[in-house]
Amino acid sequence: MSPAALSISPRQRRAFGLLVASEIKIAIRRPIGLIVAIGIPLALLVIFGSIPATTRPDKALGGISFFNLYVPTLMVFVLIAVGLAGLPQQLATYRQQGVLRRMSTTPVPPSWLLAAQTTVALILAVIGIGILLGAGAGAYGLALPHDAGGYLVILVALVLTAAATIGLGLLVASVAKTPQIAQGLTVLVFYPLAFFSGLYVPLQEIHSQLISDIAKVLPTGVGFTALHDAFGGHSPGVEPLLVLAAWAVGSCFLAARLFRWE
Amino acid sequence: MSIEELIQTDTGVSAAVSGGPAAPPVIEVSHLRKEYGPTVAVDDVSFTVPAGEIFGILGRNGAGKTTTVECVTGLRTPDRGEINVLGLDPRRHRRELHERVGVQLQESAVPDLMRVSEAVELYASFYREPADGRELIATLGLEDAQHTYFKHLSGGQKQRLSIVLALVGQPEIAVLDELTTGLDPEARRDTWRLIEGVRARGVTIVLVTHFMEEAERLCDRVALIDHGRVAALDRPSALAIAATTGKRVRFTSTEPLPDGLLSALPEVSAVERHGTEVVVAGSGDLVTAVVLALHGAGIRADDIQTETANLEDAFLAITDETPHDTNGATR
Repeated sequence: MSPAALSISPRQRRAFGLLVASEIKIAIRRPIGLIVAIGIPLALLVIFGSIPATTRPDKALGGISFFNLYVPTLMVFVLIAVGLAGLPQQLATYRQQGVLRRMSTTPVPPSWLLAAQTTVALILAVIGIGILLGAGAGAYGLALPHDAGGYLVILVALVLTAAATIGLGLLVASVAKTPQIAQGLTVLVFYPLAFFSGLYVPLQEIHSQLISDIAKVLPTGVGFTALHDAFGGHSPGVEPLLVLAAWAVGSCFLAARLFRWE
Repeated sequence: MSIEELIQTDTGVSAAVSGGPAAPPVIEVSHLRKEYGPTVAVDDVSFTVPAGEIFGILGRNGAGKTTTVECVTGLRTPDRGEINVLGLDPRRHRRELHERVGVQLQESAVPDLMRVSEAVELYASFYREPADGRELIATLGLEDAQHTYFKHLSGGQKQRLSIVLALVGQPEIAVLDELTTGLDPEARRDTWRLIEGVRARGVTIVLVTHFMEEAERLCDRVALIDHGRVAALDRPSALAIAATTGKRVRFTSTEPLPDGLLSALPEVSAVERHGTEVVVAGSGDLVTAVVLALHGAGIRADDIQTETANLEDAFLAITDETPHDTNGATR
């Protein structure tokens, strides 16, 4: 634990707890973020899990079922949704409306609001991915790793992918002066990232060297591959995890440099 | 003592705590300067605010008022000058300063979908010794709106919430920036009463405004800021007197005035007549001199009015003296 974390008093912990609680309430009152991050992936899971053809092993996909291939994609999608669909607009709106400015006059700095938003994004991610895993394995026979090592790799890949997408979301919030610009930038980043997670078509079905090269450097492509390997009982190796870590550190660093409170 | 009691004890206490010469200064600003690129927002501003005073900072839009309070409250770093607030350096002791100084700024808000009671509870948790939020909500007449989302509040309710949030930390100083802008006259007068009540609790108040009437009604002393400088600093009434070159007496009379009857008086500098209305400008004991002269000549005069200058005249007189005047005046 860092010295900064140790120096937090019970009073500050209560203030942070209230901040997170109020951000959760706001997220429930304007549930678009919940729908995108939890509702859409769950709906896709139910649809594809209910089609017999997609749950049978497919030779074209290397002998596994489309469903087993698609669950890691949906997990990555949850992470892009929490990082990029909600966070930047919310922060840009708070900045434009003066919510950050209002907080900057209190003993609690507005960076806490950023931390609270990130916490809410992580909570949503845990719920969304938990539902995918639970419903996938419980109702649709999702193939799970055989050993603890597999779960550990899944956890590490999810954490690093989440750090990368949330970092990108914060970066978008940093460079976007208005909520409208944030929205435009998000669309620009969101759909390509979703594509490389395999949301529209499994990347295995596109036999293009260019596409697979890009997938090896984009956080969603790498995150998907690492998760897919882990679910299949293979080790993804260190390289994809390093790529994800680089995205996470790079985007957070740039966001910290570029972020404007007003 | 509860906040409500404190506010209700208004006048008696406020006289006792209002900044007499003995009160120690809680804010000291000397030679403050702040530039934004090529623009000099604050050129050279100095003032001192004693404890318990309602100190007004008055000026047109863009005169440097907001930048000044932003520097005083540690939100901006001055390029030059010294600031001391409650013995603290606003930049170096920002968090401690914000514990003890409540700030209401322009263009600041809480999230759209946050309820009044939630905002007050949240902001109360930010402070070491918060006030009772429910009591403050009641005092400011927001009880009926406490479950309302921020975005559904009226302009006046938003301002009152803003005051609640500025006071919820039980501050020693409250800085209120353009508090009544956008309020209807009734809500504005309610807010004035409220500010007097807050001062009665012993809170020093820095009030930024461009309403002359507001400054005249509320402030113990006023700094007129013009083009980033303090153009004048005094009690509102003293500023008004200092700015007037003379007085005026206005009356109506249907009878013709004999030539020289009034203009020959030593107190009179000019006489103007428009139909039945006569305006006499001058100085000294002008009213008595005019009334006696009219009476002596047997001329009947009605509706005798005297005009003394108010802060608005003072503001115009003082700021017009500066050579680099702008047209973007807000009044």
